[in-house]
Amino acid sequence: MSDQSNQTTYWKSLNELAQNEEYKKYAEREFPENATELTDQVSRRSFLRVMGASIALAGFASCRKPVQKILPYSRQPEDMVLGEPLFYATSMPFQDSVTGLLITNNEGRPTKIEGNQDHPASGGRTSIYNQASVLGMYDPDRSRSPRRNGENVSKNDFVEFAADHFNNNNGRILFIDEATSSPTYHRLKEQILDNYDADWVTYEPFSENNAIEGTQIAFGQRLRTVNHYDEAGLVVALDDDFMSPQAHKNSVENSLKLTGRRSVESVDDSMSRIYSVENAFTNTGSYADHRLRLKSSQIAPFTFALASRLAESVSGLSAFEGVSNDFSGHDWIDVLADELLNNQGGSVITLGAQHSPEVHAAVAAMNLALGNEGSAVTYHELPYRVNRDENQAFIDAISELQAGEFDTVVLIGGNLIYNAPADLNIADALGNAGTTIHLSKYYDETSQACHWHVNRAHYLEAWGDGLSYTGQRSIIQPQIQPLFNGISAVEFLGILLNGEETSGYELVQDTWSDVITSDFTREWERVLHDGLDTESGFDSASVSLSGNFASAVEGSLGQSEVSGIEIAIKPDARVFDGRFANNSWLQELPEPMTKITWDNVALMSAATAESIGINPQRSFRNNDVPKVRISAGGETIEIAAWVEPGHADDSITLTVGYGRSNVGRVADGVGVDTYPLRTTENLFFQAADVEPVGSTYEVACVQDHHSLEGRDMIRTATLDEYRENPDFATFKSFHGFEVPGMKQALEKGDDRGPVSLFNEHYGPDHQPQWGMTIDLNSCFGCGVCTIACQAENNIPVIGKREVGRRRIMHWIRTDRYYEGDPDNPTAYHQPVPCMHCELAPCEQVCPVAATTHSEDGINQMTYNRCIGTRYCMNNCPFKVRRFNFFNYTKEYLTTGNDPEIIQMAMNPEVTVRFRGVVEKCTYCVQRVNREKIKSKIATGSRKPEDGAVKTACQQACPANAISFGDLTDSDSEVSRKKRNDRNYVMLEEMNVRPRTSYLARLTNKNPELA
Amino acid sequence: MSKTYEYVPEPALVKGNHDFKDITAMVTDINMRPTPKAWYVAFGISNILLLILLVAVAYLIWEGTGIWGLNQPVGWGWAIINFVWWVGIGHAGTLISAILFLFRQGWRTAINRFAEAMTIFAVMCAGLFPAIHVGRIWVIYWVFPIPNQMAMWPNFNSPLLWDVFAVSTYFTVSLLFWYVGLIPDLATIRDRIKSKIGKILYGTFALGWRGSNRHWWNYEKSYMILAGLATPLVLSVHTIVSFDFAVSLIPGWHTTIFPPYFVAGAVFSGFAMVLSLMIICRKIYGLEDIMTVDHIEKMNIIVLVTGTMVGFAYAMEFFIAWYGGVEYEKAIFILRATGPYAWAYWIMVICNVVSPQFFWSKKLRRHVAFTFVISIVVNIGMWFERFVITVTSLSQDFLPSSWGYYSPTMWDVLTYVGTFGLFFTFFLLFLRFLPMVAVAELKGVMPQADPHNYNKDGEYVPPKIEVPEPTNKSV
Repeated sequence: MSDQSNQTTYWKSLNELAQNEEYKKYAEREFPENATELTDQVSRRSFLRVMGASIALAGFASCRKPVQKILPYSRQPEDMVLGEPLFYATSMPFQDSVTGLLITNNEGRPTKIEGNQDHPASGGRTSIYNQASVLGMYDPDRSRSPRRNGENVSKNDFVEFAADHFNNNNGRILFIDEATSSPTYHRLKEQILDNYDADWVTYEPFSENNAIEGTQIAFGQRLRTVNHYDEAGLVVALDDDFMSPQAHKNSVENSLKLTGRRSVESVDDSMSRIYSVENAFTNTGSYADHRLRLKSSQIAPFTFALASRLAESVSGLSAFEGVSNDFSGHDWIDVLADELLNNQGGSVITLGAQHSPEVHAAVAAMNLALGNEGSAVTYHELPYRVNRDENQAFIDAISELQAGEFDTVVLIGGNLIYNAPADLNIADALGNAGTTIHLSKYYDETSQACHWHVNRAHYLEAWGDGLSYTGQRSIIQPQIQPLFNGISAVEFLGILLNGEETSGYELVQDTWSDVITSDFTREWERVLHDGLDTESGFDSASVSLSGNFASAVEGSLGQSEVSGIEIAIKPDARVFDGRFANNSWLQELPEPMTKITWDNVALMSAATAESIGINPQRSFRNNDVPKVRISAGGETIEIAAWVEPGHADDSITLTVGYGRSNVGRVADGVGVDTYPLRTTENLFFQAADVEPVGSTYEVACVQDHHSLEGRDMIRTATLDEYRENPDFATFKSFHGFEVPGMKQALEKGDDRGPVSLFNEHYGPDHQPQWGMTIDLNSCFGCGVCTIACQAENNIPVIGKREVGRRRIMHWIRTDRYYEGDPDNPTAYHQPVPCMHCELAPCEQVCPVAATTHSEDGINQMTYNRCIGTRYCMNNCPFKVRRFNFFNYTKEYLTTGNDPEIIQMAMNPEVTVRFRGVVEKCTYCVQRVNREKIKSKIATGSRKPEDGAVKTACQQACPANAISFGDLTDSDSEVSRKKRNDRNYVMLEEMNVRPRTSYLARLTNKNPELA
Repeated sequence: MSKTYEYVPEPALVKGNHDFKDITAMVTDINMRPTPKAWYVAFGISNILLLILLVAVAYLIWEGTGIWGLNQPVGWGWAIINFVWWVGIGHAGTLISAILFLFRQGWRTAINRFAEAMTIFAVMCAGLFPAIHVGRIWVIYWVFPIPNQMAMWPNFNSPLLWDVFAVSTYFTVSLLFWYVGLIPDLATIRDRIKSKIGKILYGTFALGWRGSNRHWWNYEKSYMILAGLATPLVLSVHTIVSFDFAVSLIPGWHTTIFPPYFVAGAVFSGFAMVLSLMIICRKIYGLEDIMTVDHIEKMNIIVLVTGTMVGFAYAMEFFIAWYGGVEYEKAIFILRATGPYAWAYWIMVICNVVSPQFFWSKKLRRHVAFTFVISIVVNIGMWFERFVITVTSLSQDFLPSSWGYYSPTMWDVLTYVGTFGLFFTFFLLFLRFLPMVAVAELKGVMPQADPHNYNKDGEYVPPKIEVPEPTNKSV
């Protein structure tokens, strides 16, 4: 035997035995691959990335659950206590307004958005767009770098190009931007216009331009109309959904003020009265006391008829004297005129932004003539507004561009190729420019058509500023470094202006140094802290009727309705003009009125559906609805037809923002693009030909049954009935007999509910005991509670197919019922979270005791213990429990190639749920416990002060409809609400004793119309 | 006036005047003959179905409950329907073996073995569903009261937990009962079989049975005790299964009529299933003399009685819904008959209430082919009964906003079809390897076992004593 064979070889791995290249490299490295990453400087981002990527390391170690490893900070930032979120004020720009916000920031990640209590446009409340914007920032589909002709380039490449291009170019430049109120932006804009040979126009597919032009006609000044709904005893909304964010920039303040004016604590309180005239059923229409359905094109003649009728009694409306049209003798004209005349100085007439300037002028003249100006309606000059018709300026600029008069086009935001009127042929026009540059968050339709795309930062990532709808000045402070290295609009302008990067911080400070004259640092910090400059705000303009008013409106007075079927094109409740199309929370939010998710449809009345030859009955058994072909202005689309009770006849409402491709994983392939039907002549409504296609389309609607079937879930009365019978909402009043078993219970001295077979010992002496009330007199069904809850509680998005199978995960839903005449019904909204029943039927049936009661009265769900029998779901009479049919969370959080991004949006205080477990509303138990701990530390009592704990839905609600608190504290807000005579619980006869109760809805009906 | 009474002898339970040896041969030869080709074909088909079940269950566990058609209001669908349906079928066995035994119904001996086997396999199919329908099957053991360091017990208030105990007890007792009954027959085969392996296996399971007086005495006692134990179980299992529904507060579920109604329905479907299987087997295996038309008639009478009871329960549900005055309950019963699931409701009524009424006619209830058709119809009807109960109530309960329609997916259907594979695989193995009639017991009810030594005119006939031929072998 040779020596060699005597020697035993020991080897650690097959690779070592083979001594291949890979092994040698491995042995030399000392540390395995990936470990070196940690020697890099640990930035917040790389730290988080490693956190997320650790999932991959888990491998087969556990087939049941992925093991994730977390790493601590090596150098902990000051002020930061791990696990304790920090809160920063900022504001969200939306068109040319901002809403003040308070951002919850967990270890450098903004995770939740709340309203800023001190900001007038918020009052601590938010809209769905505000709530969902945090997910918008963590959207992995956002553009990640500048592109030149579609090729990724670096930011420096763009800066170099811009420095060269804008300094050495003699051609004219056309700037097209979207509306913004940022003072810094407008300062830079002025400088650019001074330095370059440039024209600057603004385009918004849905703007308040017509309203502003209306004041130009009425008063000779371009002014913003601000309605003060808290001051108005009477509101006449003419096709104006001013409570919804898609229809009004200041919807949150509007809703808060209007619902505040209508809140009723006792029979002595009063309510304002709302009349709504509209074509589609809107949230404002559903909240109104009286609603009239008219075609959109009938609004103008209706308004003129009203003005003409008022001209008989008040001066200042002589222009309308003698106008006679179809509506002159209408019941409503007389009623409205009487009401308006009785409420002079305390009423508001408001008109939807889509209507023509002349109709807006008529409304402005009526408000002035009725003396509402100065109290319920004020007018304000916008400091940044160019004194011209913006829409016309845009159309003119495009025709100049077509004529080849511009060498360079700079598009700041917006998405012209997608949303500009079809007849402008924007794509052609842009082709006439030598250089086109688009600043955009997404590499969208317009970016794809431009030479340059520059990736834009989200408002949560960059410095900025802006003015609220009523002029309060705010700073937008970033919450995180730009995830994808984007730049903000002001930084972009800075580059164009200076040829080099200037930080947004400097640019904004420069602007503010003009405003803050003394003690800059201190004041600056105060504004940052407060979220706004409390001293700012627009001054009211003094207005008087313009001399040539009569002649200006004369030409329009003969306007008549569109004969035959009209289509009205509106912004979508969830994706607005398409800018939120890639936001899955919004896409999955049921549309407030139709309850449809993930789609846009053609809304029409049952009579219209029949007249075009489709069956107005929707099948309960499947999701298929018929499609219609709509042709207008030479363009044709095919879209699902949806019968909406209460829609005006011969009118079809379409919403925009859908039918995208190559924008993002969420937006692509959802719904139908309706923009092709819009032309410069007819931006908002026009005549159309409609015919059935013959095929069907699947729509995921979360509510298949729309009638209350005479049940008592919603209880309602008019204000007068309430005053006569304050107990109208009790079970006994509704049904005519007492809840069975109640008498026997009272005989036994138990007033908590009907006599029970169980010998329960419930609700010991422990304090606090949590409870909730939802005031149906305030709720108008906007759905922000759902989004707020989704953001707070890490609720996964499941997609259209799963929603269509009725598996939506939302913990709080808003039920919408129709009642009355099927053609012209009343609509009711009812938010339904978990009722936290004291004798919870779900708890009794769980075989493994996974759902139990806490000592402070919360019906708890222990995910770890749940085995998923779904018995609790079945036995829940309110059907609020949700089941993870698939591993939704995993699918949702690991979309695409960099899963860690959406994971950063998760609330670290709430467990994400695994496949096969049931989940539901927890009364935001993480918030409850945080406050309990705080209170325990501060005072030694585990009973937080009233108002300290706010649930996510409560905090977001712009109608202040939800109250939450301690029932053992008789002074708490929720206890007071529960003592209200309108308080009732659903299914009282079931004796489950819900902790969540409702306050019955009231309407302030006009007896003449009732 | 004088009246003449005539002696009407009961018809013999076994026809064809077979002697004991014949009977033994008729039954046990089936197990000892070479396997027929047709058996392999049937077994092959069952195996394919069983494979489908395995694939469907594996995919379910891999992918999640979402592969089924369940949704937000309807949290229980085909899985629970199938569970209740199979448990119901599993009812006939114990009823026949235990209750009819205690009531000394001699005719049960021809079918009890067969029915008990069916019971056991049906309960196996049933037991599968509650196990796989949960979201997290890997922690299903939490439903058992296993002591653990967290002192975390299951919730003894939950009917699902009662189910676990009820079904597992029922399965255990049924299995024991079946096995005890099998022992003398296993010994018979042991003695008759030629193959060595057969001898060892049958011998092992015969537990050393030699047929001594002592053995018989023990056997009879234990059989009697087990019958006594099993009798309450016949009532309890389906009562507790019905509690899954009755204890909840869902309209249409929350009714006190459920326990008797479910038990009647279970007997109904169980007898129908025994009939379906028996009619085929007696033909194929030539057991018409043992499982006679008289048996079929008796069973048809039970089907008629229980079917009418079920129909009465349907009517009472409507009456109570009206009489009780609960709005939601009224609504759900109207919706059952006229709503989106009316088709299922009327299938149920026609199959369960109308079809058994044909058995009022003696001719029809003695008609084998007709009985076979009705027995299948009844089981379809009983499946729809569970469908109507489970799905309609959930689909349209209290809050109209939550109403939603339920339709199954391919995987629901495949899982159900697959359980037939499980059932028939076991059943075919049973037919092949175990005596399908309780030979020892059957002999006890034959006329030959009860010699009276009088002819029908009352005259004494001395018993014929046969003296065996002496053999060469000395004893």
